[in-house]
Amino acid sequence: MIRWLVVFLSLLAIKAEAQDFHSIQFVPKFGSHPLELNTEYTLGNDKITFTNLKFYIADLSFFLKDSLIHRPDQKVFLIDVSDSNSLKIFTNTKSTFDRITFKIGIDSVTNVAGALDGDLDPVHGMYWTWQSGYINFKLEGIATNCPARLHKFYWHIGGYLQPFAAQRCIELMGNFSKIKNVNIQIDELFKYIDISQTYNVMSPSVHAIEIADRLAGIFKITD
Amino acid sequence: MQKFLVIFICAFLMLSFDYIASYPLFDQPPHFPKPIYNFNKNPLDSAAIELGRALFYDPILSRDNSISCASCHSPFNAFAHTDHDLSHGIFDSIGTRNAPALFNLAWQKSFMWDGAINHLDVQALAPITSQKEMGSSIKEVIAKLNTSKEYKSRFNQVFKDPKITSSRILKALSQFQLTLISAGSKYDLVVSGKDQFTHQEKNGYELFLKNCNSCHQEPLFSNYTFQDNGIPLDSTLNDLGRFNISQVESDKMKFKVPSLRNLSYTYPYMHDGRFRSLKEVINHYTERLYKTPNKSPIQDNPIKLNSNEKVDLIAFLLTLNDPNFVFDKKHQFKKISMGAKE
Repeated sequence: MIRWLVVFLSLLAIKAEAQDFHSIQFVPKFGSHPLELNTEYTLGNDKITFTNLKFYIADLSFFLKDSLIHRPDQKVFLIDVSDSNSLKIFTNTKSTFDRITFKIGIDSVTNVAGALDGDLDPVHGMYWTWQSGYINFKLEGIATNCPARLHKFYWHIGGYLQPFAAQRCIELMGNFSKIKNVNIQIDELFKYIDISQTYNVMSPSVHAIEIADRLAGIFKITD
Repeated sequence: MQKFLVIFICAFLMLSFDYIASYPLFDQPPHFPKPIYNFNKNPLDSAAIELGRALFYDPILSRDNSISCASCHSPFNAFAHTDHDLSHGIFDSIGTRNAPALFNLAWQKSFMWDGAINHLDVQALAPITSQKEMGSSIKEVIAKLNTSKEYKSRFNQVFKDPKITSSRILKALSQFQLTLISAGSKYDLVVSGKDQFTHQEKNGYELFLKNCNSCHQEPLFSNYTFQDNGIPLDSTLNDLGRFNISQVESDKMKFKVPSLRNLSYTYPYMHDGRFRSLKEVINHYTERLYKTPNKSPIQDNPIKLNSNEKVDLIAFLLTLNDPNFVFDKKHQFKKISMGAKE
């Protein structure tokens, strides 16, 4: 009887402990609204609907006072807005931290490593087949100002070779509570990228770099 | 001093033995360099090679089950597509380039005429997905293979697990293709002291070394670099080659140097199959070089050959035909028969 009690209490303890682990919650947003796929948003005289938003997070690291305190075993995470489970990354650390860093996209070593599994499996549609290489960040949708057929735009941002290497580093600082929301402000991209000019970006190029350079600015911490 | 030499030779032999012993299914020709492919990440296995072979010949990889890898890479053409200038694909599509011959792939660091593919294991994704080749997707291929009892059982046999994944399909295809080694031509026999060139072939070999070997480096007969060889742009294709991948101005109209092995089986020649005969190719290099923007050194120093020398050079090039490879039964189509034990 006492044995069962001990087991029960330790299970409770484990459960309580699990709740203490930190996690990162990505929250896609358009302005002050939560961003949902297949929903129309207005920006100036443009109406924009997003149909696909996926990207890779790599080398997520947690720091406290400039020392690394945690790095998840999983090196790469595929974040897919159509799959809410993918928006949350759990850690197994409980210690406090004041800075997180991660990269958007896949490094050159992984890009030349051949056929990979898990989040890097080419079945996820984040791998270019006609030219080897991962798509780091994929945003697709319909914008009234986009002159393409059916106003569809395709931003497939990738490339691992200079001068068009598109992986970008993100650094976020602040007072971190246990669950940290990281907002993805997609509207920020549209402040700098003119959808009437830049709408078909599907290879490593100057245009991909133009968008990649703006990616660091869209990730923001809220309390 | 002698003692050291003996120790050194023994150590060298042991190392090379060790190297060969680790990949018993990889038939390393003694006069070839060390392969580039990393076998540690995909160790050759006879069941996996056979699975790769089955997939290579199976049109299930295409959207309407009409096109297999072998449709454009036929074993009897040294895995090229003889007599077709541009590749043919699904729904009678015509591609934009000549289907390259497949052999000695373990020594190549990039694939396709423009080097678009950086690893043999991801190469097959390109034709599977291309709308002018197989018009499918790896996801669709996995779903179709999963409906086949035979394939499920075969994947289980190879991977000790029945799950069919993209990396398993791709690695099995690599395994089969890695066994496509062409090293049994008359040239190879001469190099290993088992045969002799005729007087004409020997003369052609000397002309080859002097004029062609800097790009078509023996024994693979390519250095696998990208070069602009002075053929003018075909305005119906506007193919800028390597530039399409690198976006670097100096790469415009550069294409990968192809191997000269098995030339008799792989005509027509060049990335768009514009030349039907070796004679036309040699006349191009000796007389018809165009001054293209990113010309390779050859364009400043056109090859000078008289008509006898041209004949001798062709006689040598024909010693690079490898019928032992082309007609090797172990590379040819074999129907899957899962019921019977092999």
